[in-house]
Amino acid sequence: MAAFEPVLSRNWNVAQSHTLPVYESRGGYQAARKALTQMDPDGVVNLIKDSELRGRGGAGFPCGLKWSFLPKDRKETLMCINADESEPATFNNRILMEKDPHQLIEGIIIGCFATKATAAYLYVRFEYIKAYQILERAIDEARAKGYLGKNIFGSGFDLEIWVHRGAGAYICGEETGLIESLEGKRGWPRIKPPFPAVEGAFKKPTVVNNVETLACVPHIVERGADWFKSMGTPKSYGPKLYCISGHVNKQTCVELPLGITCRELIEVHGQGVWKGRKAKAVVPGGISMGLLSADELDTPLDFEAIRKPGCLGLGTAAVTVIDDQTSIVDYLYNCARFFAHESCGQCTPCREGTAWIYKTMKRIKLGGGRMEDLTVLGGIQANLGITPGTTICGLADGAAWPIKNALAKFRPELEEYIKTHQDPRYAVTPLQTAITMGSPTTAAVTPVSIGMSSPTGALRSPHSS
Amino acid sequence: MATMILNGQEYTLPDNEKLNAIQAAQRFGVEIPYYCWHPALSVVANCRMCEIEVGSKDPKTGEIKMIPKMVPGCQTPARDGTVLVTNSTKVKDHQKMIMEFLLLNHPLDCPVCDQAGECGLQDYSYEYGQANHRFVEERNVNPRKDVSDLIQLNQDRCIMCTRCVRFTREITQTSELQVTRRGSHAEIDIFPGIELDNPLAGNVVDLCPVGALLDKDFLHKQRVWFLAKHDSICAGCSTGCNISAEENRGQLWRFKPRYNPNVNDYWICDAGRYSYKVANDVNLLNSAYLREHGVLGTISIDKALTSVDQSLKATSKDGGKIGAVLSPFLTVEEAFLLSTYIKQLSANSVLALGPVPIEGEDKTYHPDKTTGRTGDVSFVVPRPFTIHAEKCPNRHGVEAVLKHFQGEVIEFKTFTNEVARADYAAIYLTAGGLEPFLDQGVADLLRASTKMLIVQDVHVTPLAQLADIVLPGATFAEKSGSFANADRRLQSFDAALAPRDGSLADLDIFAILLGKSVAPILSNEILAELAEIIPDFAVAKGGKLPEFGAVLGTTPASTTSGSAERFADSWTKHRISSVGSYA
Repeated sequence: MAAFEPVLSRNWNVAQSHTLPVYESRGGYQAARKALTQMDPDGVVNLIKDSELRGRGGAGFPCGLKWSFLPKDRKETLMCINADESEPATFNNRILMEKDPHQLIEGIIIGCFATKATAAYLYVRFEYIKAYQILERAIDEARAKGYLGKNIFGSGFDLEIWVHRGAGAYICGEETGLIESLEGKRGWPRIKPPFPAVEGAFKKPTVVNNVETLACVPHIVERGADWFKSMGTPKSYGPKLYCISGHVNKQTCVELPLGITCRELIEVHGQGVWKGRKAKAVVPGGISMGLLSADELDTPLDFEAIRKPGCLGLGTAAVTVIDDQTSIVDYLYNCARFFAHESCGQCTPCREGTAWIYKTMKRIKLGGGRMEDLTVLGGIQANLGITPGTTICGLADGAAWPIKNALAKFRPELEEYIKTHQDPRYAVTPLQTAITMGSPTTAAVTPVSIGMSSPTGALRSPHSS
Repeated sequence: MATMILNGQEYTLPDNEKLNAIQAAQRFGVEIPYYCWHPALSVVANCRMCEIEVGSKDPKTGEIKMIPKMVPGCQTPARDGTVLVTNSTKVKDHQKMIMEFLLLNHPLDCPVCDQAGECGLQDYSYEYGQANHRFVEERNVNPRKDVSDLIQLNQDRCIMCTRCVRFTREITQTSELQVTRRGSHAEIDIFPGIELDNPLAGNVVDLCPVGALLDKDFLHKQRVWFLAKHDSICAGCSTGCNISAEENRGQLWRFKPRYNPNVNDYWICDAGRYSYKVANDVNLLNSAYLREHGVLGTISIDKALTSVDQSLKATSKDGGKIGAVLSPFLTVEEAFLLSTYIKQLSANSVLALGPVPIEGEDKTYHPDKTTGRTGDVSFVVPRPFTIHAEKCPNRHGVEAVLKHFQGEVIEFKTFTNEVARADYAAIYLTAGGLEPFLDQGVADLLRASTKMLIVQDVHVTPLAQLADIVLPGATFAEKSGSFANADRRLQSFDAALAPRDGSLADLDIFAILLGKSVAPILSNEILAELAEIIPDFAVAKGGKLPEFGAVLGTTPASTTSGSAERFADSWTKHRISSVGSYA
C-alpha cells in the first residue's frame, strides 16, 4: 500500500487548485491533448475497456462496455454527467467538483471524444451551489483557452458543456430519471429497454456517467490500462474515493485502491470509532446498500466482496459508522423516512411499500411495535425493487436493503426493542387488528374513539391521539 | 409464422400485428390484469399489475430460458419464441401483493362510489386479490377536488396509473393534468386556474380504472349495474362515434364510447357525450296532430297516418306536385322507405335533402407519439380523432339513397328556392334532429307555398305549429338502423329506448304508409332489401355489417380491418352474468 499514489485527489490540497493555470501547471489537459491528437475514439473506448474501469456511481457497470453499447450508425450522441450526488453520507463528487473541476472537464472531453458526443450536460445537484459556481467558472476558463468549443486541440472535435442544476430530488440521480429531469419533465425513471445508449435524452443516444468515473479517465489515458489494473482487487481495479462519516473521530474522504477492508478504513483513515466506543454496524456504501455487522468489518470494500455478507453492492463507497450506543431502530427509521420521502410515486410497490415501511418503523420507534411487524416488514422488503422485478428503478431496492440486512443481522435487538419499548398511546387498536384479520371479531364492537375530523376516524390513528 | 408459448401451450401469432403480452394473451383467452396500460397510450409500466414470468425458446435447441425477474406484460412484445407464464404461484402472489399495496390508502367507499360495478379495483380484488391486508397504520387521505365544471377528482381513490395524464399529453396534447408531489402523497392535479376543459376531456373519466375521476353529470345518479347498455351511434356529428347508450327506467343516463378503430378509436367528444339529454327531454312531441277547421288538434297516430296516406294519394291523383324533405338524421333504411313511398305516389315527386347543420370547423386530434414517454411504441397505435363541423349523422347515407332514386341530390336551399317559385301541392318534411333547426322564415315560406304540409319531427318547432299534419317520430335513441358517417362508413345501431308514449319509430311510420306489414319492422330486413336494390349498399348484403362497419361502395371483404374483437377494459364489462338480472 505504501506504493499507492493518489491521483484523483492529488490537487485537493493545492492552493487555487480549481483554476486552470494551477491545474495546467500540474500536468493538466495533457491526457486530453494526447487522446484527441494521437488516438481515435475507438482507441479510447478500447483503452477504457482494457482498464476494466467500473462506474463509480453505485451500480459498478463497466464504463467501456457502456460506451460500446451506443449504436454504430448514430448521428448524434449526448453525454450526461451525473453529479446529482444525493446518496446520504456521500460527498466525494462534491469535493471533486469544488477542488478540481478541470480534472472532471478533462475527463468529459475525453469521454465525449470517445463516444463522439458533441454536447455534455453536467447535471449538478441543486444543493451544490458552490460546485455549480466553480464549474461554471472552470468551463468559461477552458472555453477561453480553446479546450472547449470548436476544433479542440486542432483535432476537429467540437464540444460544449452545459451545467444544469437539479431541483432537489434523489430520484434524479437515477440515470433515466436524470434524463427526464434534464428534458424538463418530472423526474420519473423510464422503462428499459430502450436503454439511454439507444434512446436517451431528447430521444438521442446518450451516455450517462458519474463524476468520479470520468475523473478516472484522464489518468487511464495518461498512464495506461496496466497502471490502472495494478491497483485494487480482481474485477475491481483502480483508485476509489471513500467517504467516512458517522461515529468516527475523523470524517473524511480519502483516495485508496479498491478492496480496502472496512476495518482498516475506520481504524486508519477514520482514526477509530469516536468516544472510545465500538462499532455496532457499518453502512458500506450509502444507506441503500444495507448494513455490515461488527463481525463483518474485515470485508474488503470492492464491487464483488461486499455482496458476500448480503449487502446490495459497493454503492458510492460512503462508509457510515454506527456506534454501539445507537439504536438500530433509529437508524432504520431514518432510512425509511428518507426513502418514503424520496420515492417518486411511479411504481405501486415502491410508492406504497416505502410509505408502509416508514409508518411501521415510526410506530415501532414510538412504542407501538408488535412482533409480527418484523414479519410484515420482511414481507414488504422482499417484494420491493428491481431485484424481484417489481419496480422500474433501484430506489426501492435501496429502501428494502437496510430492512433486509437489519432483520438478518440485528433481529434480536429489534425484538428486544419492541419488548422494552411499549407505549399504549401508540399501540395498534383492537379494531385495526380485527380488520387485518379480515373477520368481524368481538374486537370490532369495542368502543373506539370516533369523532375525529379525518374520514378514516373509525380507524383510530395511532399517532394522532 | 410466429409461435409463442403461453402457459405451456403453443399459439400462432398474427403476422400483421404487433402485440404485447397482454394483447396476445387476450387473443388466446388468457387475461393478464393491468391498470396503467392502454392500447392508445404510451407504455409506462408503473402499476406493475401485469407482471408475469417471461422467457424465450431457443429456436435451435428448443431450450426454454426464463428471465429470473418478473417482467411487466405491457412492455413485453409477443414474438416468435416468446414464453409467457401467467398462472404460476409466483405471478399470483405478485398480483395479491400489488392489490394489497393499491388498497393500503384506498378509502374503500364502494357503497357511495360511482365506479362501483365497473371498477378495476373491485374486479381485480375479487379475482386476483386477497380478502384482508396487514396494514394497521394511519391512512393517507389525499384531497378531493374539481378539475373542471364537469369532472371531479377524488384523489383518495386514485391509484396513480397516469392514464389521464398521458391522455391529455398524447391525444389532446393540451396537458392540463399532471402529477404533483412525490411518493404516496403523489396527486393528479391541474395548474391553478387552468381547467381540464378540452373538447375530449370527458374521456379521462372513461379511462380511469377506479373511481377517482368522475363525471359530475352522472354523479350519484345511478348504480351502473342497473344500466342496460345498447350499442348505439352518436348522432351529434358526422363522425359517427360508436357509443354505448346506457338506460334505466326508460331514461338515458349516459353515453360511453365503444371502440372502433376506423371511426372514433376509444374516444367520444364531450358534445356527443352529453347529447343523450335530448332523448330525455320531457317536452318532445308526444302525439300526432291534425289541422281541422284551422286548428291543430291531437289525433291518434293511426288516424293521422291514414289521413297522410289518403291526402297524399289524392294529391297525386289530381296531378299535384309532391315534395319530400329527407332529414340527414334519418337512417338509410328510413330514407329508403320514404323515398320508395314518395316515388310510388308519383314519379314526378321531388326528394330533397334536409338542412345540414354546420357549426364551426372540423377539428382533428392527431395523437403524437413523440410527446409520450420514450420506449417501445410499436404496440401503441393511436389514430386521429375528428370532431366534424357537420352536426348530423347521416348526410352521406341519405344522399346515397337520394342519388339512387333521382340521380341527384337536391340541397335544402335549392329546394326552398324552388318551393318559392313553383306550386307544390304537398310537402312531407322529416326532421328529427338533436335540436329544432327550422327558423320562422323558412317555416312561413313552406307554409305559404304549399296546400298540404306534413311535418315529422321530435321537437315542437315553429314549422310544426304551421303544419296540417304533425307526426311524432323517434329520437336517435328510440330507433335502430344504419348511418353512414363522413367517411361513408355504414354502421348499424340498436335502439336504446322504447318509443315515447304517443310516438312511433320513423321506420314504422314509413312501413305503415307503404302498407308493408303489420308485424314489427326490423331495420336489418330493410337494410337487406336495400343492399339488393342499391349497388352502393352491397356491403350490407343480408342486412349484416361487419363489426366495425363498412364503407359504402366497397366489397365486404376489403372492409375488414383492425383487430378482431372490440377492445374494452375488462372492468367495464359486466363480468358476472347474473348481475344483469337485478336490473
